[in-house]
Amino acid sequence: MSAPFAKGPAAPADLPRDEAPASGQGPLDEAAIRAMVDSEQGWIDRRIFWDPQVYALEMERIFARCWIFVAHDSQIPEVGDFLTTYVGEDAVIVARARDRQVHAFINSCSHRGNRVCFAEAGSARRFTCNFHGWSYALDGSLSGVTAEELYKDNPTFDRSKLGLHKARVESHGGMHFACFDPEAPSLADYLGEFRWYLDVLLDNDEGGIEFVDGNIKSRLKCNWKFPAEDFVGDAYHATWTHSSALQALFGNIPTMKADRSFQVNANGHGWDFGLDFISNAATLCEPEIVEYLRENEVRFAERLGKMRSRMVGSLSSATVFPNLSFLAGHNTFRTWNPKGPAETELHTWVFLNRNAPDSLKEKYRRGVMLTFSPAGIFEMDDGENFEHCTASNAGVVTRRRKLHTGLGLGSEVEHPELKGNVHRNQVNEANHRAFYQRWTDLMTAPNWADVPVR
Amino acid sequence: MSDAGKSGAALAAGVDRDLVFEIEQFLYREARLLDEERYDEWLATMAPDVHYWMPGIQARYRADKADLISRTRMAYFDDDLDYLTKRVERAKQTTAWAEDPPTRHFHMVSNIEVEATEIPDEWVVHSLVLNLRHRNEAEEQTLTARRQDLVRRDETGALKLARRLIRLQQTVLQAKNMNAFL
Ligand code: FES
Ligand SMILES: [Fe+2]
Repeated sequence: MSAPFAKGPAAPADLPRDEAPASGQGPLDEAAIRAMVDSEQGWIDRRIFWDPQVYALEMERIFARCWIFVAHDSQIPEVGDFLTTYVGEDAVIVARARDRQVHAFINSCSHRGNRVCFAEAGSARRFTCNFHGWSYALDGSLSGVTAEELYKDNPTFDRSKLGLHKARVESHGGMHFACFDPEAPSLADYLGEFRWYLDVLLDNDEGGIEFVDGNIKSRLKCNWKFPAEDFVGDAYHATWTHSSALQALFGNIPTMKADRSFQVNANGHGWDFGLDFISNAATLCEPEIVEYLRENEVRFAERLGKMRSRMVGSLSSATVFPNLSFLAGHNTFRTWNPKGPAETELHTWVFLNRNAPDSLKEKYRRGVMLTFSPAGIFEMDDGENFEHCTASNAGVVTRRRKLHTGLGLGSEVEHPELKGNVHRNQVNEANHRAFYQRWTDLMTAPNWADVPVR
Repeated sequence: MSDAGKSGAALAAGVDRDLVFEIEQFLYREARLLDEERYDEWLATMAPDVHYWMPGIQARYRADKADLISRTRMAYFDDDLDYLTKRVERAKQTTAWAEDPPTRHFHMVSNIEVEATEIPDEWVVHSLVLNLRHRNEAEEQTLTARRQDLVRRDETGALKLARRLIRLQQTVLQAKNMNAFL
């Protein structure tokens, strides 16, 4: 008989990769990161959803370097209008200054670091810190210092260097993105061929889009990448996860047409869609919305071409890398804001064509609320999945097995019209693989020059 | 419907204790119907023209005069009976994964005040609601809200909920979803 506390046999030194010791044991170097993602075969290491080291590097190499959506033009139309949001975990103020341009800067005072603005949105002449009263102009520059004579002849006090830390701001179709990396490519290059797809929503009508007032926010105990990858191309889950909502609304589950649907991606941004024109929009249960789309079908086609016009309200979902997602047809944009490896703050908005009839604003506002908001009958079942995909990785043994993300291997096609990387059948994980390829590119690249165009 | 400046006595004018008691019981019973997931019976407590409304909440500066409780802004609920029925229909499906195992709901209602209105059979009712949701192993979420209802006695003599405005305390919903009616 062996002793009661005898040690078992030592683990063999040459464990296969997927049974290698879990996180926190070894440096997070380039080789370690590359080993976590196999975007060719579709194997994902669960540690990327759990490991605090991975998360910290994501904040540095993804959120502090990428273009992050911060506001739509229509949210801050007038000089002085502002809102507060996040770029990664960095709090930012986004404001329209006297030059009428949109500026974004860190919401933390240059003096002692206090938060400068506490309102979620509003209109201001300046932002004044509660601590000692330094004030900042709408473009983030330091405009006033309490009892400034105290700093007279001070060798280190230079007003021009003490403004709030500014981001670059560039926009596409009224969507403003902020970037804190001077080395990053332009927004246009960052979006690459995905701009052509974004215009399906942003430019199907000459007036472009506007956002409905307000913003619903919620906290999910999940890693930010689960919802981001869900929207980049998880059409697969739609009929299963959302079966209850589909049954409640239609009494049956629609089928997706493999030969009439696609996944496309460029630079890690991805969209899965059918060419059905209307299916997402129809779930809003507002006949006037479907009528509006049908009436304008020809006009959309004139602007976008026949193929892209079929995407305007179709069964689809999309993510702009890393954390801006949207649904065509449902007309909702949302961002997944990281709050630690296992927590995410969801911000959601409703949008519609600016020139659409006024009555449609009400229809979209209520329709999105009923379907894709925290109380929405579709979205309600999503959060549950994202949270438990995350929480299960607390298990050290659980983390040793990789996740299978191989659906649709070999489905890439050449397409005469569609841009970017095109895959047949929207029920596919090609976009997941592209998302994680981009993730790996950024996580392993010391400089933007090392990040390939995909 | 502000009660500023009115005394307690004036508030109670036209509202006798029996009525207050009846309305309290109406709200407590409603809370129990929700806790027990008796959603069809819950829908039956609604007037046909019910408006059930939970606007999104934002933190803004006091000086900001924007009307934040407005039906032009995003909301969690801005429902008529048709929308409420659709939500209930989803909750009743066997494939409503987020309800299976069931969420353990707890609705506590208090601070009930009843005010007469111009219409003899309609009353404004203020209350507070505390909702606790427990799910699966250790998930626990708290929602608190101030409610302002319009309660009406219909032709059959039954009390019905005709309007409900629910003002949530949270600006960022501290939960993955809102699979609860408040
Ligand atoms: S911390 Fe802002 S003025 Fe001192
Ligand atoms: Fe979903």
